[in-house]
Amino acid sequence: MDRSYFDRLDVDGALAESLQRTGLSRAAFLAAALGGSTALLGGLTTEAAGAQGDDLPSNDVFILNYALVLEYLQAAFYTEAERMGALRDKTARAAQVVGSVERAHVEAFKEVLGRKAVKRPTFDFQGATENPKAFLKTAVAFEDLAVAAYKGQATRIKSKPALMAALAIHSVEARHAAWMRYLFGVNPARSAFDQPQSRPEVTRVVRSTNFITGPPSTKAERSPRYMG
Amino acid sequence: MSPACRVARARPVAAQAGVGAAVGLAAVLLWPVLESSPRQKVLPPPAASVLDVPPPERLGRDHHVSVWSTVRRPARARSAPESGAPVVARVEDRTPEGTDNTLLILDRTHDARGRVWVRARLPALPSGSTGWLPRAAIGGYRLVRTHLVVDLDRRSATLLRNGHPVVRAHVGVGQPRWPTPRGRFYIRNKLVRYRSSFYGPLAFGTSARSRVLTDWPGGGFVGIHGTDRPDLIPGQISHGCIRMRNHDITRLGGLMPVGTPLTIR
Amino acid sequence: MNRPLSDSDPRSRSVLGRRSLLLGAAALGGATIMGAPRMTTAASLPQDDVRALNVLLLVEYTQVAFYTEALRRGALGSGLLRYARQVASQEAEHLRFLKRLLTRKADPKPDFDFGEATGRPDTFVVAATKIEDLAVGAYNGAGSNVSPEVLAEAAKIVSVEARHAAWIRSIVDELPAPDATDEALSADEVLERLSRLGVRR
Repeated sequence: MDRSYFDRLDVDGALAESLQRTGLSRAAFLAAALGGSTALLGGLTTEAAGAQGDDLPSNDVFILNYALVLEYLQAAFYTEAERMGALRDKTARAAQVVGSVERAHVEAFKEVLGRKAVKRPTFDFQGATENPKAFLKTAVAFEDLAVAAYKGQATRIKSKPALMAALAIHSVEARHAAWMRYLFGVNPARSAFDQPQSRPEVTRVVRSTNFITGPPSTKAERSPRYMG
Repeated sequence: MSPACRVARARPVAAQAGVGAAVGLAAVLLWPVLESSPRQKVLPPPAASVLDVPPPERLGRDHHVSVWSTVRRPARARSAPESGAPVVARVEDRTPEGTDNTLLILDRTHDARGRVWVRARLPALPSGSTGWLPRAAIGGYRLVRTHLVVDLDRRSATLLRNGHPVVRAHVGVGQPRWPTPRGRFYIRNKLVRYRSSFYGPLAFGTSARSRVLTDWPGGGFVGIHGTDRPDLIPGQISHGCIRMRNHDITRLGGLMPVGTPLTIR
Repeated sequence: MNRPLSDSDPRSRSVLGRRSLLLGAAALGGATIMGAPRMTTAASLPQDDVRALNVLLLVEYTQVAFYTEALRRGALGSGLLRYARQVASQEAEHLRFLKRLLTRKADPKPDFDFGEATGRPDTFVVAATKIEDLAVGAYNGAGSNVSPEVLAEAAKIVSVEARHAAWIRSIVDELPAPDATDEALSADEVLERLSRLGVRR
């Protein structure tokens, strides 16, 4: 996991802003955000025990972590939508079911990656989970994006077990995409052939949403001025 | 022998019943005619996936969840979710301590244009004030499952997590002339690693404000903090703050996240 | 009608911005202008690719035949009819693509006996759901057997089959995607399910 990967997920400098306030060095912040293991920044670690991720080529670990970030994003989106309670009927049901599936995907990726798994980012969905129409538009975009993202990685995955994992999830994301499109009232399958998107392009799109933010800064090393 | 025939013979048709048996039998009978072409040899079966995906689980019923957020930009909190409604309070994006300003988010709605508004508990007087803000004024949602309840008459504080008490402590509260306000508030920030034994090892800022000490530098906010006078606890001893013995505030520090709702009764 | 946004179009910069969301999703979802994938000739395809592709070819033959027959028999209305028309045409594109890829190495079209499945809406739905699920499983199953070039193209098709599968379930108010993963079927399993669906040779 190289720093540039995380940099590209740093949306609108929110991360940089956070860093300034907390005073941590960028490297330390990245290390903390990526699970505290500085080995992640430099490459493979040999210390992780138990996870099948140990047997995966580092190329595939990188790709699975990329998939994990997208799954974190989707899981958080649907989970928040369900909690906010602004959806009704079939849309609410879709959020419940798809959310439970995306959460299961997150668990699966975290389990196989073990200590090499990236940490969950913090999100700000800016109302997209709180308004039925905004929810559906965003859900359609997320699912179409996930399909294109997995597709874009298929030929870059080196090991067959990782490839089969990606394929097994990629088609489910396509079902989700059609489902949300149907609910939104648009064509579930606009083309006979879906197109892949490269990781830089997917990252650019995710960044443009500003949904991934830095964590809030609610702790300070200052003397209290409370009334005592 | 082609693999197709091998598969057919391996299937026990007798094990199926009814329509299934008829279809199964038909499949077996027709199987030899649906052979893979002579040029085809055995294709390997699909490789196994590296992922073990658990069964999807529904979200549990969460009765103890509270939602908080940060203020992204200075904004006006209004009495109703409309641009023209009277202003209840201005909210800043930073606290006097320099941390992100936080708000407890109580409710939400969207207007005819689809713009989302949220109702927040405000760090403003009168105690327990709430107001409506445009969703764009706040940041991402964070959840907590804790709740701090302070009982002024009993001079006690109880931290609940998922409704169960996990910390109980005696506290010092405001003297009669500087009473600790009663009402619903929340934990706004946390201060650490400062040098002041008066406040103990760490301090929490709350959204509660003194009704009487309104000119206090920093706004007259109620803090929850440690002390260098544990002998005075429990008692009515402070200017309004909630004081704990250092051992207790340290425990609280490890268990109570910022954003935790605070009820003072 | 559904052209992809050019890079200079400001809407293409923030694809998930509220107003441009749909257009952005359209741009990502695969504009029809891009059409079928380009491929190398069959002469250069490895043997395993040819074998695997012929299984997929069989699936596409079946899908085209199924939808064509259902449309001809005329028992479908409104949502199902719209579905069948569009999917028939998309499966025909898949079929054309695979045939062009395999050229003379393509297996011949089999015979079909779909029975009542093409004659009534209720049986049509059951069969269509099975066929689309089967297509997803077949393409996923081929994944570890094909070369990267073929994999790239197969990937563009399998997600469309999955969309079909979710679509038809949506029409009849069934959960479009209850499971967390899709299966990967072996060639034998594909052939067996095809025969159960009425594929004969």
